[in-house]
Amino acid sequence: MPWIIKYRPKHINDVVNQDEAKQKLINWLKAWEEGKVEKKAILLHGPAGCGKTSLVEAIAKTFKYQLFEMNASDSRRKVDIERIAKAASQTAGIMGRRIILLDEVDGLDPRADAGGVEALIEVIKNTRNPIIMTANNPYQEHLRPLRDVAELVPMKRLSERDVITVLERICKSENLYCEPGALREIAKRSEGDLRSAINDLEAAAALNKKVTLDTVKAVSTYRNRVYAPWEALQKMFNSSYIFQAREAVTSTDLTHDEFITWINEHIPTYYENPEEMWRAYEALSRADIYLGRIVKTQNWDLLSYAIEMMGPGVAFARTAYKYRWKAFKMPERIKLLAEAKKSREYREALAEVLASRLLTSKAIVKSDVIPYLRVIFTQNPAYAAKIVLGYKLPEELVKWLAGTRAKDVLSYVKKGKK
Amino acid sequence: MSELLWAEKYRPRSLSEVVNQKEIVERLKRFIAEKSIPHMLFAGPPGTGKTTIAHALAHDLYGENYRQYMLELNASDERKIEVIRTKVKEFARSRVVGEVPFKIVLLDEADNMTSDAQQALRRLMELYSANTRFILTANYPSKIIEPIQSRCAVFRFTSLKREDVVGRLMYICNQEKVVCREKALDIIYDISEGDMRRAINILQAAAALGEVTEDSVYKVVGLAHPREVREMLQLALAGNFVEARRKLRDLMINYGLSGVDIIKQIHREIFSSEVKLPDELRIIIADYAGEIQFRLVEGADDEIQLNAFLARLSLLGKKIKV
Repeated sequence: MPWIIKYRPKHINDVVNQDEAKQKLINWLKAWEEGKVEKKAILLHGPAGCGKTSLVEAIAKTFKYQLFEMNASDSRRKVDIERIAKAASQTAGIMGRRIILLDEVDGLDPRADAGGVEALIEVIKNTRNPIIMTANNPYQEHLRPLRDVAELVPMKRLSERDVITVLERICKSENLYCEPGALREIAKRSEGDLRSAINDLEAAAALNKKVTLDTVKAVSTYRNRVYAPWEALQKMFNSSYIFQAREAVTSTDLTHDEFITWINEHIPTYYENPEEMWRAYEALSRADIYLGRIVKTQNWDLLSYAIEMMGPGVAFARTAYKYRWKAFKMPERIKLLAEAKKSREYREALAEVLASRLLTSKAIVKSDVIPYLRVIFTQNPAYAAKIVLGYKLPEELVKWLAGTRAKDVLSYVKKGKK
Repeated sequence: MSELLWAEKYRPRSLSEVVNQKEIVERLKRFIAEKSIPHMLFAGPPGTGKTTIAHALAHDLYGENYRQYMLELNASDERKIEVIRTKVKEFARSRVVGEVPFKIVLLDEADNMTSDAQQALRRLMELYSANTRFILTANYPSKIIEPIQSRCAVFRFTSLKREDVVGRLMYICNQEKVVCREKALDIIYDISEGDMRRAINILQAAAALGEVTEDSVYKVVGLAHPREVREMLQLALAGNFVEARRKLRDLMINYGLSGVDIIKQIHREIFSSEVKLPDELRIIIADYAGEIQFRLVEGADDEIQLNAFLARLSLLGKKIKV
């Protein structure tokens, strides 16, 4: 049995250093029993591995509640939430009191799990049992409705000392010899994530029954080791093995979409041979497609394919390996993206104005009217100015239509108004 | 000193000003005399006057302020049947005042609706038939489901004849005191494929260049379609990917084009004689363009997909030279 399960707290006293959260939960449950809770649900939040789920489980065990657990990210769809959570919350347990635990509600995706949050709120309204939700980050916009109906209870990031306390307890129970400094190293690298610390301890102990500083250094990784995007690109493009390229993709603090933008910018920086360049772009475009499918279907299993295409797929587009150091600059596109978006908005706004006047669709205005308007605006500013006045076009649209001739058109507009 | 687009300025306001589609106009005039119209489907190619005639009909029925009695919807802009339903419901609720006992819902480009949406539309037509009449327009009547077709009087609009379009353009030139050559108007007709709206747009842009001559017409058409698309293709085919990508970015930024807009224009260019390519390569490229368009419609990223396209072009271009 993995230690993170084996050493789950069995009693509330086993939970380290979360006294405030403990007290709040206990008081709230008491109020529930007496039927005078203000809010029927609690949203327990804190960083990964600080013990949110463990705390709820420990409380349930300590105070003899039956725990009805549901992971929001397993059953994301509205119907699932309704089915499971309603069934749990509306029939008071024959076996005794119940707590409904909805784990990781921040895993609900606002678009793909449309209606998920609303469904949860409905469940909370009708519940006859206490509901506890957990989340790493409860302040996401789409969770706002949940914040309104639930009491927010924060949990602290565990300190190095807290983590060491738990690790020492485990070492004792497992009869492990631990070199001084080894546990501290694990705790330091865990950055308050107890779950990862226990995993590292188990991995270090697996080598031999002694946990030394060296074994810790060998097995324990800085999980959040973050590389700058250009470092990651350097590693990725020049990787000798698939696993290196894959790791490089996840070694930055950028989202996958953002990292793809970096790769997109720099495929031609790294590759000069058209064959390699095309194969790299083809792989990247596949990654883009997988990411799109993930967003659409919420099927996160596909993520590994996306990562394989964007990392190894792009890196192994080469026909021959040669280490090449390149300067990977900030992608121009990040800046251009905003401009392109603005430009599309202007085109849309102009189509909106003209479609109703010309009795046609915006699509037709875009394809059959705007191109000719542009000709007029760039070739004959004086005449263009008359049209500006005829339709009372705002200045930014004039600028968009006329491009480099914008000044001329606008000065004619000024004269025309007098 | 203000000016309108001529497509608006010279649009017939009343049925009596409409110069073509004579039979249709005659039938519609009879409806007006009786102050009673059925649901109608106006079918025919773009720019043949379907929407204009629908407006003219409403104008003749209700007078100058006809637009308050008519709800205009465009199926290609409002794709959700829910939106259409809500608007129609809202509109149909208020009473009709005056001597015409119904109001008009004009649903343009109805053939852009899915058949599910059309089924819902059919129910709407039934639900509100007491005090509303629907006029649908469509380029392809076969894409309108049968239950709707059978509820409508169908009017088939024919392509405008050369003399109708040229005559109208000539009339506009006279009104605007613009010098024009008849040959130039002929060319405009050819380019616009009988689409009056497009013809008038080209005429106005050519007039803005000075006189409407063969040269100015060709110049307008050349300017209207961004050269960047062709240049981008040529750069890519010459193996200059980085410059081609720069053009791509220009297109998105200066013209506000979306990835789909661009790939559609690319598609047109692939088969143009201006782009020098062996025919078998045109087919390969067109096939790949189709794939890219599909990906974009599915929501893939504009630039990444188009870069993949340009990279493939660079590779293919290199192969021709070898």
